[in-house]
Amino acid sequence: MSKSQELKIKDKFTGETIRTVTADTIETVHEKIKKVHRNQKLLKEMDFFERAQLLSQFASKLRFNKNKLKDLIVAEGGLPVKYSEWELNVVTNGFKFCDWYYQFLEEKPLTSIEGEQLVRIRYIPHGLAACLSPRNTPISLPLYQLGANYLVGNPAIVKPSTACPLTMLEAYSMMEEIDFPALEALDLVIAPGEWAVDEFIKSPLVKTIMTITASHTAKDILVRYGRFLKKTVDRSMGVDMYTQPFKNFFFECAGNDAGIVMNDVNMEQVAKWNAMASYTNSGQQCFSMKRIIVHQDIYDEYTECLIKEIEKLKYGDPTNPDVDIGPLGSRKILMMMEVMVEDAKKYNAKIYTGAEKIDTGKDYGLFYKPTLVEIKPEMCEDLSKAPFLWREEAFGPVRSITKAKDIKDAIKLANASNYGMRAVVYTSNLNNIEVFKNELEAANIYVNARPMLVDITVSLGGIKDSAYPAGCKYYPQELVYGKYIYDGTSLNLEKIK
Amino acid sequence: MVIDLKSNIFNQNDFKTDIARNYTSFLSNYPEIFADLILGSHFDFAIYDSIESYDARAPIDVFNVYRNGEGIEIKPGKANNADLELALSVEAIEKLIKTKDNVEYAQLLGSFYNEPNEENGWIDFMLFKRTQKIIEMGYGKFAQTAGILEDDGSIIHL
Repeated sequence: MSKSQELKIKDKFTGETIRTVTADTIETVHEKIKKVHRNQKLLKEMDFFERAQLLSQFASKLRFNKNKLKDLIVAEGGLPVKYSEWELNVVTNGFKFCDWYYQFLEEKPLTSIEGEQLVRIRYIPHGLAACLSPRNTPISLPLYQLGANYLVGNPAIVKPSTACPLTMLEAYSMMEEIDFPALEALDLVIAPGEWAVDEFIKSPLVKTIMTITASHTAKDILVRYGRFLKKTVDRSMGVDMYTQPFKNFFFECAGNDAGIVMNDVNMEQVAKWNAMASYTNSGQQCFSMKRIIVHQDIYDEYTECLIKEIEKLKYGDPTNPDVDIGPLGSRKILMMMEVMVEDAKKYNAKIYTGAEKIDTGKDYGLFYKPTLVEIKPEMCEDLSKAPFLWREEAFGPVRSITKAKDIKDAIKLANASNYGMRAVVYTSNLNNIEVFKNELEAANIYVNARPMLVDITVSLGGIKDSAYPAGCKYYPQELVYGKYIYDGTSLNLEKIK
Repeated sequence: MVIDLKSNIFNQNDFKTDIARNYTSFLSNYPEIFADLILGSHFDFAIYDSIESYDARAPIDVFNVYRNGEGIEIKPGKANNADLELALSVEAIEKLIKTKDNVEYAQLLGSFYNEPNEENGWIDFMLFKRTQKIIEMGYGKFAQTAGILEDDGSIIHL
């Protein structure tokens, strides 16, 4: 029996221990996997709309307890209190109206070329899903993973980040309080990702592994899966036969979103939105606007507007309702921001604002001032030689700004990336809008949209290194497969009798 | 375009509580709140004296609002096949009926949704029909007009 570990969950600003939680061991993880798998039948006893109604009611419970949850989000996540509202709304609104997803899961007839409807597509849940969540969202993503699986009828194990598991544990205990039906088919695992992933990979009961993580971590999971498969090879028949079945992998990964600002916009308004889109949650957001590309005609003036907005951002105690920028989630992020800025300096990049750290020397109260760095377009021509800040996701408050000659150049720069989550465009030229929609390489294109858009119709996903498999989908769609059923009874019953 | 809507309250003596009588009288002054709902929309207003009674689905009074061609009809009891239920605490209604106009009313209603509080007041809603259908019936726009669903862009101010 493995020894269980006590995890001290600390306030990211003050460093005080908020609570100590007992982490799972390999044995308890196995038990939980078996338990939720065994209780899958409880989910099958309800239909989609019953489950949707229950999630909708649970959204009310979350809302009635929002202050308690917000306090935890702020403390363990370091998210500013004003942003914690948004974090919570993502999931409460999603749950409140979750039956909206039925349009993707409704059984459909297919019409053959003869005009007959003998084939139907029925959507079937994949089975047990093991989900891993990142530390930048203490509740929205882990709870959304739990809810999406419940909605379609999959048992699920969700592993929130060990840096901030308390909000999710609180949400789960709220479900326990109200005897949430079929909760036995859902559970949380508090364990470090390094070994938890291996246990999920090894378990034959786990059919799907879904994560929201850095692209490199996601690739590492695939490598681990490959190694695991290799160990299962049976050579007794003289050929390599892999004895373990395929698993489904759904990875939501990094974004390095381009945000294009053309020379026909209200610069002050767009700069306000830009600052929000780029620096909310200290820039620790996969869909943050990271590479700002500005038309040369307005580059200087727009940069000035943007700097003004950036310098208005207040950083500090995240419980202060005026604070925009809370502490960073980890020392690793602080280090990464420093490395990116130092690397950019080697390219003689101009630092417009920021580039200063507040380092307590501990693992809390760490800040990096909102930073804007000029990356010259010629530095981005060969991606392999481009500054680190351009090539990789800056998961913190450092953003690049680059001058584009015209629309063609802006699109070329935007597409010069290994990532393809979102692309954002601000322009009032209606003729150019279609060009952007067609030419930008990203799974989601946002034209003249307000930042941090929260809407049930906003899907997840990405192309290139931003998602695996590539595409733009809603979670519930990914958690089911289409069973194609040909029923020739009406044509052939008499013949086969 | 401003639509002049009429409101009619039926069988007001059949309400179980004074708070329902007062609230329906108040609502009948602002039928324009319901202008975005399509004809035939029909939903319940349920009044609860605590969150526990809401959890137990045991309202102290219920009335329903029907959107007809001319405006709205308010009647005691539950609607037959209601689209949704708007749940309100007594404390919320006591404050709502003191508002001076429909703008102030909408702002306060929204605050009870966004900052629910047992002491100060709260509101909630339960959908009885599919979200898509509810949206098609105009309830999404109604919720915005009534201040329940705010524009998310306003949540974070920089």
